[in-house]
Amino acid sequence: MDIISQLQEQVNTIASLAFNTFGTLQRDAPPVRLSPNYPEPPAVPAEDAANFAEQPKLMSAALVKAAKQFDALVAALPLSEGGEEAQLKRIAELQAENDSVGQELQKQLEAAEKELKQVQELFNQAADNCLNLKKPD
Amino acid sequence: MATATYPPPPPYYRLYKNYLEDPKSAPEPPPPVEGTYVCFGANYTTDDVLPSLEEQGVRQLYPKGPNVDYKKELRSLNRELQLHILELADVLVQRPSQYARRVEEISLIFKNLHHLLNSLRPHQARATIIHILELQIQRRKQAVEDIKRRREEAQRLLKESLGTLDGQ
Repeated sequence: MDIISQLQEQVNTIASLAFNTFGTLQRDAPPVRLSPNYPEPPAVPAEDAANFAEQPKLMSAALVKAAKQFDALVAALPLSEGGEEAQLKRIAELQAENDSVGQELQKQLEAAEKELKQVQELFNQAADNCLNLKKPD
Repeated sequence: MATATYPPPPPYYRLYKNYLEDPKSAPEPPPPVEGTYVCFGANYTTDDVLPSLEEQGVRQLYPKGPNVDYKKELRSLNRELQLHILELADVLVQRPSQYARRVEEISLIFKNLHHLLNSLRPHQARATIIHILELQIQRRKQAVEDIKRRREEAQRLLKESLGTLDGQ
């Protein structure tokens, strides 16, 4: 895939990681005591709590990794030419050179085809002579 | 314009009855379409240009101008994005009812990112043309060399065979 499409995919990946992170954390967060007026919330089993404590770390690590990957892709952009006019000028130059080489090719091709015809003609004559000289047994 | 569900094919084939004998008796193909045209009820335009962000009603975060430094702007937009995501996480913890503005800003950054990347496409197209032209010139030069070599080879063989025949 070309580099710009990869960059676009990476942007979409970062977006989906972000909303998955927030969605998962909001959905799975254990209840928390907001004020001393409310009773203690029911405790959640220790295993789930341990798993849940891992989630933010893993997800934020994935997010940061995706952002670093994006930076790496940006660094790999081959933006060598400075500006549209420089590119258009180069295209014009290349077209002119392509035309001249094309004409050269055409000339060579025509000369080669002419020589091919001559050789074929000679071969025909030689074959005819051969046939005429060969005496039937 | 046919509006039936399954319209028959257009009846222009009758005009080409004598095409084999007289190629000029049939009408010319229609010229290429210019401007906007309607296809299956939808409007399309032949001039494909990326509409600027202002036309879509989106604020532009990176500086406008003739030559934008794409790499720098992409990197800075990436940093802005990360900062805004952190801000959103903070807001959700402290003041959960104010999430909307932060989400708006994050989507604004994404729109800017995609617009910047799309504006790189014409540059990529021109670079592809340059690459293809260079390849074609290289192939043509190679072909010219090959033909020259073969012609010289043929000439040499002919002279050689002439010499052999003469010597006989």
